[in-house]
Amino acid sequence: MDKWQYLLLLGGCLLITLPLEFFGAGIYRQPRRLLRALLPVVSVFLIWDAVAIVLKVWHYNPRYVSGINVPFMPLEEMLFFIVIPLCGMLTYNVVTASLGWWGRLRNRRDRTRL
Amino acid sequence: MTGLGYTVPAVISVIAVCVLELAVLRTGLFRKPAYWISMVIVLGFQVLVDGWLTKLSAPIVLYNEKHTSGIRFPWDIPVEDFLFGWSLVTAVLLLWERQRVRS
Repeated sequence: MDKWQYLLLLGGCLLITLPLEFFGAGIYRQPRRLLRALLPVVSVFLIWDAVAIVLKVWHYNPRYVSGINVPFMPLEEMLFFIVIPLCGMLTYNVVTASLGWWGRLRNRRDRTRL
Repeated sequence: MTGLGYTVPAVISVIAVCVLELAVLRTGLFRKPAYWISMVIVLGFQVLVDGWLTKLSAPIVLYNEKHTSGIRFPWDIPVEDFLFGWSLVTAVLLLWERQRVRS
């Protein structure tokens, strides 16, 4: 079970943030915009990560990774660079939607008071 | 403790992302309260997730201490991780916002 730790952690992140998609305009519902934001950044960070691994700046505990590898790194590490930005974007999506909703509510209340 | 392998690139990444926004993209993201509120929430969850990844009792990611500042806070999280995480999430949000400006 231990070797699935990193993968389960990432899966948990995706699962917990998934309901945030149902607020506002969402991010998964805008797949082209999502990919255009994600791909360039993920590419740069994957290169950084690969260089750091080659230079032995950090490495992964074989005990807690699945053993499935992509070039230079465990599969989990590659997924990290997709999952974490998705969580950040979903957070931004829901905060933006909430502030918009709150602003409209306050506007309406102010107008009825006048 | 040379800090070359992680500390320096982490600092450079933050500067690079700031330059990207202020000189190139100019999305106005840094002026939006929604961005800063989001980053506080992201930071809170980063401590949980990153804390689990880096805990010295059973680490998933192991750092060569030669390449870090050696400062780990909170728990066993190398402080460089916060710069790394900020750059990663902010860069993606900048490109996300840029497409709003365009449309």
